[in-house]
Amino acid sequence: MELPEQDVQVVVDDVHVRYSAPSSDRSVRPVSRVQRVAHRIVGREPTVVVRALAGISLVAHAGEAVGVLGLNGSGKSTLLRVISGLERPSRGQVLAASIPVLLGVNAALLPDLTGQQNVRLGCLAMGMTPDEAAAAYPEVIELAGLGAAVHRPMRTYSSGMGARLRFAIAVAARPSILLIDEALATGDAAFKERSEQAMEQMRAAAGCQFLVVQSAKTVEQMCTRAMWLHQGRLVWDGPAPEVALAYRIWATHIAKGNQDKAQKAFDDAFATGADTSLHLIAGLRSEAVARHAK
Amino acid sequence: MSTTTFAGHTDQTNVPAQRPERTPLRAKKLVPVDCGGLEPVANRPSLDEYLHMTWQRRHFIWADARARTLSESRRFLLGTVWLVLRPVLDASVYLVVFGLLLKSNRGVENFLGYLVVGVFLFRFTSGAINAGSRSIVSGKAMVRSFSFPRIALPVAEVTRQVLRFMPTLAAMLVLIVLIPPGARLSWRWLLLPVVVALQVVLIAGLVLLTSRMVAKVPDLTQVISLLNRFWMYGSGVMYSFERFTDNQTVLAVVRLNPMYQVLDMSRDCLLYARTPALWSWVVLVVWAALALAAGLVYFWRGEESYGTS
Repeated sequence: MELPEQDVQVVVDDVHVRYSAPSSDRSVRPVSRVQRVAHRIVGREPTVVVRALAGISLVAHAGEAVGVLGLNGSGKSTLLRVISGLERPSRGQVLAASIPVLLGVNAALLPDLTGQQNVRLGCLAMGMTPDEAAAAYPEVIELAGLGAAVHRPMRTYSSGMGARLRFAIAVAARPSILLIDEALATGDAAFKERSEQAMEQMRAAAGCQFLVVQSAKTVEQMCTRAMWLHQGRLVWDGPAPEVALAYRIWATHIAKGNQDKAQKAFDDAFATGADTSLHLIAGLRSEAVARHAK
Repeated sequence: MSTTTFAGHTDQTNVPAQRPERTPLRAKKLVPVDCGGLEPVANRPSLDEYLHMTWQRRHFIWADARARTLSESRRFLLGTVWLVLRPVLDASVYLVVFGLLLKSNRGVENFLGYLVVGVFLFRFTSGAINAGSRSIVSGKAMVRSFSFPRIALPVAEVTRQVLRFMPTLAAMLVLIVLIPPGARLSWRWLLLPVVVALQVVLIAGLVLLTSRMVAKVPDLTQVISLLNRFWMYGSGVMYSFERFTDNQTVLAVVRLNPMYQVLDMSRDCLLYARTPALWSWVVLVVWAALALAAGLVYFWRGEESYGTS
C-alpha cells in the first residue's frame, strides 16, 4: 500500500461514544417493577443510552481547516471533545501529533476576575511560564480588542466580549491543532477579520483546525474541508464548497417542512460520501519523538 | 427537529442491538495512515512524568488558588476581612459557652487555650477535606476545557485552603496569648510550622483519595462529612481522653490517630511548654507519608476517567 506524502496531524479511528442520560420518556421506563420502585424512591428518572458518535473515522493533515456541520445534537461537540482528549470514547482511538487545544463556548474562566487576570490564568492553565504569559499578554489584548474593559471583572462582559477573550487566550499558545466549538459565532465584524487572520497564520505554520459552525456559509469562507454529521454518523466528508452546498439545500428543505425532498437530498449526499476505515501503519517515520519524552 | 434518517433504521436514542444497515450504494474507502510520531490523546503518562507535568503547572496551581480566594472574598462587603473575622467570631462562641456559661475546665489545664487550638486546627482539616474532595466535581468545566494534569485541581484546592488558614492561624496564636491564663512564647513555638506542614501533607493525601472517589460517586460527600464528625470526636478536640478513661488499649488506639497527634503536639508546643514525644512524631510522619503516597497513586490511576460524563 502506498502512503500519501502528507503531514498527518490527527487520526480518528472508528470512534464510538455512548453515554447514559436520564429521560422522562415514558416509553423507556424500566421494565421490571422493582427497578421502577427503586427509581421512584431515590427520585431518579430512568436512563437511556444515547449514542453520540457511532463509528467516526477521519485523518486530518497540516494546513487543513475542517468545518463540522450538523444539526444540534448530531455529535459535533462530542467529536471535538473526543479529539481534544477531554472525553474518552467508548470504542476506538484518537491519535494526534501534538496536544490539541479545544476552545469551547463554556471554557472555564473565572467571572469574578478581571479580563487581565483571566488572560494570565488561562495562559498558565495551558502550560505557559509566568514570563511567557506576560509576553503573550499584549498580543492577547490586541486580538481580543476589549479596550478598557480588560480591567473589569469578566461577569460584566457581554457574551461576545467573553468569547473574544477566550479565543484570544487559546490562540496565544499557538496550538498546532486548534478545535473551535462555535466560539466565533458571537464576534462582531472587525473581530471576525482579526480572528480569521490569526487562524490563517496558524494553518500556514503547519497546523490544522476543526471548527464547529452553524452556518454553511462560514464553512465555505473559512474551511478547506467539511464534515456533515447526522445522528452521530458521518454523512459526507469532502471538499468544503460541495458539502456545504448540499448541507444548505438539505437544511432549507427541512426549514420549509419538505420532509420528502429533504430525505432525497440527504440520501444523495450520503451516497456521494464514503464509509472510511483506516489502516494504521506505525513507526515508518524514524524521526518520531514521543511527545512526553522531551 | 428533522425526521431525516439513515436508510434502514429510525431511532438512535435506544441503541439497536445490531448495527443499522447502510445504504448499499455507498462506497467503502480504506485509507492507509502512517501514524508514526502520533500519540493517543489523553493517555495516562507514567507516574514520574505525571509529577513532572504537575510541577510544570505549579504557577497555574498557585494563580488558581489565589484567584479563587480573592474572588470568594469579593462577594462580601468586608472582603478579605472575613478571613480573620470569621475564626475570631467562631472562637468567641466557644469562649462564651465554655468560659462564661459552663465554667467547666473538664479537668484540663488552660482549657480555653486547649479548646481554641483543638477547634481551629481540626476545622482546618475537616474544611479542607470537605472542599478538596469536591474539587474534581466542581472543576468539571475546567476539566472539559483545558488539558492539564487533573491533580492540579485538588492540589490547588488544598493550596487555597492553606492560604485561607494563614489568617486563622494568626488569630489562633493571638487568642491563646490573650485568653487567661495565657500561653507564653517559647522556642517550641517554632515546632508548630513543622506540625502544621505534616498536617497539610496528611490533608493533601486524603483529598487526593477522596476527590477521585467523589468524582465517581458524588453521594460520598455526605459520607465524608459524617466521617469527619466521627473523626472530630476521636481526636480530642473538646475534651481530653486521658481524663475520661484509664483503659490503655483505648488510649493506645487514640494515639495512633494522626489528628489526635496534630492537636496534642500543637498544644504541647504552644500551651504547655513540652517538647512532643518522639513516638508522636513517628505516628504523624508515617500517616502523612502513607496518605500522600496512596493518594498520589490512586488519583493518578484515575487520570483518564475525570473527563467522562
